[in-house]
Amino acid sequence: MRNFSVQELLPEYVKHFEPYVPSKPDSELMKLYGCSHVFRLNNNENPLGPPPAAQEVIRSFPPRRAAVYPSGDAYQLRRALAEKFHKDPEQFIVGNGANEVISFVIKAFCAPGNNIVTADKTFAVYEWVAQFSGFEARLVPLKDYAFDDWGMMEQIDERTKLVFICNPNNPTGTYWNCDKLARFMDAAGRRLIVVLDEAYFEFVEAKDFPNGMDLIGEYPNLVVFRTFSKMYGLAGLRIGYLAGNTEVVDAVRRTCVVYSVNGMAQEAALAALEDDEHIHRSRLLVKEGKDFLRRELTRLGLPFITGEGNFVMIRLPFSDTLAYRKLMTKGVMVRTMTGFRFPNHIRVTVSHMEAMQAFIEAMEQVLAEFRGGCRRSG
Amino acid sequence: MALRVQTEVSLKVKAGMEFLPVVTAFAEKASVALGLGGPESLAITLATEEVFVYLCAADPAHGPVDVRCWRGAYYVEEEFLFQARELNLAAFNLTAQPSLHSDRGFEDTGLLIASRMVDRFRVSTDDAGFHLTLVKEKNYPPLDETILPEPAALKSFSVRAPDPDELKVLIRLILKHHRKLILPPAFNFPGKVVDMAAAGELSALVAADSAGHLGGCILFRRLGMRMVEFFGPYLFNQPPGSGMARALGEACIAAVARSSIVGLISRYPSPDLPVEYFEALGDLTYRSPEGEPLEIGAYYRDMGEDPGSVVWTHPELEDFLRREYRRLFFAREIREARLEGEASSPNSVLAAEFDRGQGFVTLRPVWWGNDAEQTVNGYVKILCKEQIPCIFFEMDLGRAWQSHFATALVRNGFQPRVVIPYGGKGDLIIFQHSPGDCES
Repeated sequence: MRNFSVQELLPEYVKHFEPYVPSKPDSELMKLYGCSHVFRLNNNENPLGPPPAAQEVIRSFPPRRAAVYPSGDAYQLRRALAEKFHKDPEQFIVGNGANEVISFVIKAFCAPGNNIVTADKTFAVYEWVAQFSGFEARLVPLKDYAFDDWGMMEQIDERTKLVFICNPNNPTGTYWNCDKLARFMDAAGRRLIVVLDEAYFEFVEAKDFPNGMDLIGEYPNLVVFRTFSKMYGLAGLRIGYLAGNTEVVDAVRRTCVVYSVNGMAQEAALAALEDDEHIHRSRLLVKEGKDFLRRELTRLGLPFITGEGNFVMIRLPFSDTLAYRKLMTKGVMVRTMTGFRFPNHIRVTVSHMEAMQAFIEAMEQVLAEFRGGCRRSG
Repeated sequence: MALRVQTEVSLKVKAGMEFLPVVTAFAEKASVALGLGGPESLAITLATEEVFVYLCAADPAHGPVDVRCWRGAYYVEEEFLFQARELNLAAFNLTAQPSLHSDRGFEDTGLLIASRMVDRFRVSTDDAGFHLTLVKEKNYPPLDETILPEPAALKSFSVRAPDPDELKVLIRLILKHHRKLILPPAFNFPGKVVDMAAAGELSALVAADSAGHLGGCILFRRLGMRMVEFFGPYLFNQPPGSGMARALGEACIAAVARSSIVGLISRYPSPDLPVEYFEALGDLTYRSPEGEPLEIGAYYRDMGEDPGSVVWTHPELEDFLRREYRRLFFAREIREARLEGEASSPNSVLAAEFDRGQGFVTLRPVWWGNDAEQTVNGYVKILCKEQIPCIFFEMDLGRAWQSHFATALVRNGFQPRVVIPYGGKGDLIIFQHSPGDCES
């Protein structure tokens, strides 16, 4: 054993990167925190689940099909996506969740010495994948809770290969409108790839929100990410996709792992794609939940930020990670924002009314304990 | 925040006295090459000689010994890796008294000398064998009397990393403006702080204006594998409501976010600490320079969603732990660790870390043995005799064997005071000795 050192085998950039430890299963957390149920308000999942047609696919999936390899490149799903968005199937790559297509793009375009540019307080995976692949991630502070377009431009240099824009931004819900995005694309030019992560696109209500799919023709260096994990309720099956100019997508395909998306996920996504009624019902639920949260959070005196998307970010007068533990004992699981570099903030998924009420009741108790403690110590 | 600068040399010999000159020459040359000055190199060479002689005597089979030396930021570490069925390391105890009436006593005298020649040592075992590690620090010049211009209130500021010269100025400002606080001993040596920062063992953030005027700072370092300890924020002449302390606190949190660090801890908080970002864990009693008791709270925050964990404890501590975990809302599965007749070492070993300037010492278990109660008692007697007012003991609840010290601690006047989540392999309990028990 003495002569074997894993450390000596690791590249420097991996040595200094730490493994991500996912949270324990709900059953384990419930046991540890002593709660009999848990409302999951931490992952921006759709409480309605998948659209009915997708549910039927899952229910009727023949077990024997598990023995058969799926389509290696999601052939049927790409055709359906092409039809829906009026594009060529070759303009799509389907991955094992949007996280996988992030890796595909970074692997395809970045070489040693290159960098990516994104925001400091956004979805972490762009930064993580770049760093554990040995590339610099240049993080630009948000401005007024939104991606700072000119701040990002200033960070771009000849070694920048990719810019990641989360639109709307997770966790702030802010977005670049059509004009702002167009201005940025024009200023950035065509010597780098701009990735527009539209994971929450289907929840968006704003009229001036840009549809990345419509811009691919105009900007051949634009790549759009979408997912079936959020609106379409297929997070457990892990399926997402990217779209772009054929030449760009062909380049990305060289770094793809084929057969990474299972057959049930492909078929469920195919069934989900055309269900506009599901989108309508989900948006109604989100609107009702957001209205409720706005009213109740205002009553509790808690500042919050809510833009596009099925989540609300709330500022607390105490540590978010302490709030997580206290809320867990009351059966409510939220996402702490310290990891997003928003200490003392939590992000809450907008869910059905029972869960929203449970969250507010639990939050009210936690606040009462805190304010009582402040009075005693003050 | 690299753990170690990877500069290392190694030697493999058998545990035979004929190799003693080789081992000592290796220690001397390696420690100089790795940056120690003459007196420090001589000290670790002498310690090496004593340890190797001890190993030769302890291993009549003359098994292999691996010796590795590597450079840390401000120290050299030397590790001996060897096989031994049983090893009596009791001489490493501060309380050890050499016996001149037996051969064994002479051998132990060597180990005792070795322990006094270095700044720190630790012992551990794994599949590869026993690891005995000696640490010798570089020597730094003491603080000079440089006169610094008095910082003014800043109209605007941003938070960034200081350069090495700014860092030395910041250390001097901390010592000038916050001398009454408990500060890490390294702060008495600005050069050492710069070396620690260069090696990634310490990080600093400064609040400064665009012209380079300094308004405040915060420093932080890794504490074990999963914790970061921070010092500050320290402000220099900034008005209340400047927002600087909060900006420094947030910047420190952001610097640690998205890493494997699970918690931030402040054991010696400054008055400017933005407490709304932290949880009060409990108080420990220190002494003011005038000798008055000083209750100082430890502050903590999780860096992510606590997944809960398992801790090992002795029944003696279970009520305390349950009460603390309930109060702090930590999900823990408490498992009882008890001795059930299995073979155990006759001797226990503790390490002592002194901060004589602040009047405290921290004891940590190195090895469990059946004489734990006498060992702890011996330490208490010596430390009381040396009139060290604050004696702490850190017990790692992630290492079941350490909980065996519980009875010895309680019987020797220690009380559990504070639980630091993830402060060691698992949570850490800090015990404090009741000063009254020194007098009895």
